[in-house]
Amino acid sequence: MTAPALLAGLVLAIALIASGAVGAFTTANALKKVGAIAVALGGALLALALLQAPNLALIALVAVSFAYAVVGVALAVRLQEAYGVIETDEIDAADEQDEPRGPRP
Amino acid sequence: MTGALAADPSALAAAAPVVGAALALLIPHARASWLFAFAVMAAAAVVAIDAAARGALVSAGGAAMFSTALVGLSAALCLFAGAGLVREFHAPAAPYAAALALCCAGGWMAALLSRDWIGFALAVEVAWLAGTGVAALGDARRGALNGALRMLTSGGVSAAFMFLGVGLIAHATGTLEIAALAHGAGADASIAGLVLVLLSLSVKTALAPLHSWAGGVMGRAGAAPAMLLVVVGTTGALAAMVRIGAAAASAPHLAGAVEAAIAALGATSVAICSVQAMGASDLRRLAIYAFASQAGCVLLSVSLGSPAGFAAALVQTFALTAAMLALLGAAAAMREASFDALDGLGRRHPLAGAAVTAGALSLMGAPLTIGFLGRWRLIEAAVGAGWWWVAGVALVSSLAAVFYGGRLIERVYFRRAAVVAERDRDLWRTLTAPVLAAAIAAIGLGVEPSILLHASTQAAASIFGTAP
Repeated sequence: MTAPALLAGLVLAIALIASGAVGAFTTANALKKVGAIAVALGGALLALALLQAPNLALIALVAVSFAYAVVGVALAVRLQEAYGVIETDEIDAADEQDEPRGPRP
Repeated sequence: MTGALAADPSALAAAAPVVGAALALLIPHARASWLFAFAVMAAAAVVAIDAAARGALVSAGGAAMFSTALVGLSAALCLFAGAGLVREFHAPAAPYAAALALCCAGGWMAALLSRDWIGFALAVEVAWLAGTGVAALGDARRGALNGALRMLTSGGVSAAFMFLGVGLIAHATGTLEIAALAHGAGADASIAGLVLVLLSLSVKTALAPLHSWAGGVMGRAGAAPAMLLVVVGTTGALAAMVRIGAAAASAPHLAGAVEAAIAALGATSVAICSVQAMGASDLRRLAIYAFASQAGCVLLSVSLGSPAGFAAALVQTFALTAAMLALLGAAAAMREASFDALDGLGRRHPLAGAAVTAGALSLMGAPLTIGFLGRWRLIEAAVGAGWWWVAGVALVSSLAAVFYGGRLIERVYFRRAAVVAERDRDLWRTLTAPVLAAAIAAIGLGVEPSILLHASTQAAASIFGTAP
């Protein structure tokens, strides 16, 4: 792969990671957070492929992405069962009601 | 695997918890599964301590072996304490929590002992996901799930940066071996990769400003998960950062830039988290912010890039772990984390009060505590290297710790409880041993530090290939 092509590919991969990171921290929906994490990890996978990392690295990252997706979806299901919603702003509000913040020391 | 164990017996320390996790799932009784997990972790800790004491062949280096022994020992104490806290879990979930706790500890130990970047990154992510699982399972209240989601979000994003960093390092060095960093190829890409890996670990160590998950998780998690996440999880991540610092220090063409990055991370964390610890709204949040502040001092020690600096970092990591176990164990004994629960604790519960006091004094760096020893070694190393500003930051960190640690002691001994909670003798029976062990270590090793100093000096010297 030529150097400009590699650079362009890496820029795309970093853009994917950055957009995934921004999405994960800004969206309120738990499932969208899981999707955004998958986008970020997909960007990392693209970067590893462009950098011609060994197959072992690619397989490891796929396994990690799958594990994050499984745990994320399981958490979203449990949140839906416990709160009736998967929007984190509503969940935070419910937590505040459960345990109102006490006076500071 | 048998061949790997024969070549490097210390690998057993990382393998045993993972195998033990599978067996813990087969034990249906909640407390029995946690006690089994404790037994497995204690065996792994003994192997790690033995390997560290003998200076056995460890590919990752003496500093990593020192940290592995520390993580193993602290995880064993947490699991023993956790056996008394199983009521926090739904009964069917308790064996899963014990298995995940073992995976968390085993993951961090494997990361510290790993020879290659893929093993390192995989082990870190296994440990983090297992910690997320413990946080989610660990409290009958639903808030724990919200905290676990925060951990998952931060961990997932940081994993992307970790693997990007690993890819850059592998591209620069042409191999996945961590030791290949010293060979001098592809300096710029290696530095970029190492900084990305360090940033990813900063998230998992709860270093400011990348610790958005920490307050939410600690405020909502139960006592056992909070103890495990701080004493094992963040300590393991901090030790992994020290290990990366050691790998960079052995590569002269990388050392300067990586040490500058570590110093920046450390100083930022000291500044932000000291303020947050002073304004924390409960004991668990105070503990995580105090941890992050003091972890900043550990990183400043690493940034000195000298054997004295690494020895100081190892002593401080030990001191920090003991202080956190004493503080969070005592908080678990009170069954709530609010500051009000500390009022009059010295009269109601003298041993728990003494543990909180020992932990707080060690965090402050008061003389005759292990925290003082760590802080003294840091200042000595910083002045020796001519880095006066590092000595100044360490003093500022201690002054902040006097403020938040002093508040804890004031509540324990100089206030009366508004509501006297009923003492849970059954719970305290299992918490006594680990909490007092941590408190005695915080004071005892400050009074007679020769063993710890010898071990840390030897471990730090092995990074640079010099005799202690």
